[in-house]
Amino acid sequence: MSAPKVDRALVLHVAKLASLSLSEAQADRLTQELSSIVAYVEQLEELDTSGAAPMAHVDLDRLPWRKDEPRPGLTHEEALDQAPKAEHGGFSVPTFVE
Amino acid sequence: MSIGVIEIADRVRRGEATAESIVDGAIARISRSDGEVHAFLHVARDEALEQARAIDAKRARGAVAGALAGVPIAIKDAICTRGIPSTAGSKILEGYVPPYDAAVIERLRAADAIVIGKTNMDEFAMGSSNENSAFGPAHNPWDLSRTPGGSSGGSAAAVAARMAPCALGSDTGGSIRQPAALTGTVGIKPTYGRVSRYGLIAFASSLDQIGPFANDVRGAARVLSVIAGHDPRDSTSLELAAGGFEAACERSVKGLRVGVPDEYFAPGIDPEVAASVRAAIGELEREGCSVRPVRLPHTRFAVATYYVLATAEASSNLARFDGVRYGLRVDEARDGEHRGRLDLRGMYGATRDVGFGPEVKRRILLGTFVLSAGYYDAYYLKAQKARSLIRGDFDAAFREVDVICSPTSPTPAFRLGERAADPLAMYLSDVYTLPASLAGIPAMSVPCAPTAAGLPVGLQIMARPLDEATMLAVASAWEARSPARSLTPKMAAT
Repeated sequence: MSAPKVDRALVLHVAKLASLSLSEAQADRLTQELSSIVAYVEQLEELDTSGAAPMAHVDLDRLPWRKDEPRPGLTHEEALDQAPKAEHGGFSVPTFVE
Repeated sequence: MSIGVIEIADRVRRGEATAESIVDGAIARISRSDGEVHAFLHVARDEALEQARAIDAKRARGAVAGALAGVPIAIKDAICTRGIPSTAGSKILEGYVPPYDAAVIERLRAADAIVIGKTNMDEFAMGSSNENSAFGPAHNPWDLSRTPGGSSGGSAAAVAARMAPCALGSDTGGSIRQPAALTGTVGIKPTYGRVSRYGLIAFASSLDQIGPFANDVRGAARVLSVIAGHDPRDSTSLELAAGGFEAACERSVKGLRVGVPDEYFAPGIDPEVAASVRAAIGELEREGCSVRPVRLPHTRFAVATYYVLATAEASSNLARFDGVRYGLRVDEARDGEHRGRLDLRGMYGATRDVGFGPEVKRRILLGTFVLSAGYYDAYYLKAQKARSLIRGDFDAAFREVDVICSPTSPTPAFRLGERAADPLAMYLSDVYTLPASLAGIPAMSVPCAPTAAGLPVGLQIMARPLDEATMLAVASAWEARSPARSLTPKMAAT
């Protein structure tokens, strides 16, 4: 594991991937906080995991497949009811194609 | 006067009390205490009274009332309740009113339980003190200057202050057990897959599990038996009959093998907590259990493993909060260089900046980082392998013992503000609850002798996957002898 330096540029890059707009002050504080957290989790490097399989999920047996058939869902009105903006019977978003 | 889950249900079913009078009593206690405790984000007074009258009418017609007849239950605000606000403690969901009930709410309603309100929590269940609630923290009924724990702190505080006889929480890394320990209540994290998460606002899907709080083991067992069971809408929901939890509370523990891991009494533990938990284990030995040491050697890697995996999953789960379908939307910049109307990306970024609190942002960024190109193998994959080793520790230990007993939290309730400035110090306080979450095994906290200052201490009991019954038998045997049994916070005693 090559120890990455968590710097401002990395934090801003990751924030962009996560669709988070950060103020200057937030970016500074988060750079510091993430540096110490990443330094802490790097202790995993000490651990010999050569014989271990990655565990994405608890092993669950007895998991049946759900039947692939239609079932009642929300009505159109219910689905749109909590949207901050709805127009023309759909969710409204800012223009993204000129 | 406050009475427990079983007694309320028995009295309502026998017609000795009306559900309406029970709800009136709970509302009165909430009005009296919640100004100081702030356990509730929303009290569903009208809905609760309406439901209570419907149950009373049903009984009057001669129909049999359900297993939780007339029992008020406080629901963590991360669990969706139809027509009742559900914010997950976040500004980004302020005012959100779900159009459907979570599976656990459907089951509670079918058993004639009454949703009394929605409880305070760390935003999106991220935190161990309730201080990350966007609406201000809940306070510990035993000492209002202290935390009730987190993230399900409001649920725990509501039960401890006798504002509700039981509550639901969710546990991703200890969010039911730690607040139960810090408030002197019983809290159960069931086996992963036992309880449907359909309608739970997701934090880390490979870890999240819903479970009950109550003031006694049998009450918690009854709530668990109502909410457990198969649900095709949660693909991790096990197809298993969920019964016998309450009967297990009567089972003898004679001959059971109790493992005690040294790793859970490591330096840093409060000496009073260690002494109280060891005394409880000593009592179990006098009840006929055989107590022996077990080794869980990868325990010290649990915090790092958890914070990589849970944040990775959270960063993905929380991508849905984008200002389009529900919740907050910020589509105009009030200041800065982009003043005025924002484009799509700008709207996403500003909505999430304004809507999420500092801890949620930290975790989204850490999670996005460990999943990003160049770092995935070193952090995410490595942590998944570490998770296997932690699960392996338990598999090996449970070949030698039937349950494992430990402290739930290394310290009693700390003061609000004491650890808020150091996110890493807060993470380290979860060290005893994270391993069971990573392994997916059932675990619970049950009160043991309080500290000299009168702060609650929790005994954690962990069991094999799907063996909640043995865990409950041990909890119940200890509870019968626990000096904490008859204790209530002063504020709830009147």
